[in-house]
Amino acid sequence: MMVKTDTRIEEQIREIFSNDAPWVTIIWDDPVNLMTYVTYVLMELFSYPKAKAQELMMKVHTEGKAVVSTGSREEMEHDVARLHEYGLWATLQRGDQEI
Amino acid sequence: MKSEGFKRHGSNSYVAEFAANEREILINLTEQIIELLAERIDHGQEDPLAAMVGITSHDSPPEDEVLHRLLPNAYQDGVDSAEFRRYTESTLRSKKQAHAMAMRMYLKSAEDGTVDLEHDGANAWLGAINDMRLALGVRLNVQERTQDELELLAPDDPMRGVYVVYGWLGWLQEGLIEALMDEN
Repeated sequence: MMVKTDTRIEEQIREIFSNDAPWVTIIWDDPVNLMTYVTYVLMELFSYPKAKAQELMMKVHTEGKAVVSTGSREEMEHDVARLHEYGLWATLQRGDQEI
Repeated sequence: MKSEGFKRHGSNSYVAEFAANEREILINLTEQIIELLAERIDHGQEDPLAAMVGITSHDSPPEDEVLHRLLPNAYQDGVDSAEFRRYTESTLRSKKQAHAMAMRMYLKSAEDGTVDLEHDGANAWLGAINDMRLALGVRLNVQERTQDELELLAPDDPMRGVYVVYGWLGWLQEGLIEALMDEN
């Protein structure tokens, strides 16, 4: 028990001080944006192959949201800004936070 | 509406022909978007040095529903969103304005109605058309209304015309995307 608890605390501390704790960019479903447009923007901005972009788009469409990129907080802020530029409804948050 | 939409010509050329009234509608929409995205002026509140580097004193989301949709929050959390907005909203406004300005320039110089876009120009058009659809979508309340309800708008309903333009913009955008994806 003791060992297990210590490991958990160590993990939490490491996460707090770590610069590369993962953050995620989420796209939310929107009735305005066309499915082909969401796919195209994902291909253009993230250089995703068509199949991957389509899969993410379908996830947004059917589940209401999808994580489209993962990285540092700064990188995710950059991704969200680019998605907003093209009118997609995107937010970022810590990867371990409930979506 | 007469245009047949965008077709791919060669490796980096996407061409569409627009009738005079179509061109006018599009120019008018670009101008409305450019105006809508003009900076919020907080008289006496702005720090001129901060404004010069794109930092603004306002950090709350725009009150206007259309603007709020064009300049959404980046975080679900309000505090983080406000901080992000202070440093980025001004840049986002300029980038969206630049898309609409590029589209307007293409249309203004297409006196015979023929627009010929290269890849970057096409991306600016897609972004600008999408902002127009987002803006019209808020006015049409597409979040709440089903497509059937919108299709059934009476001919004398003022929203009927808005819905026709909204649909036409979607068709134009879709055609341009198909032409762009053709090369992949």
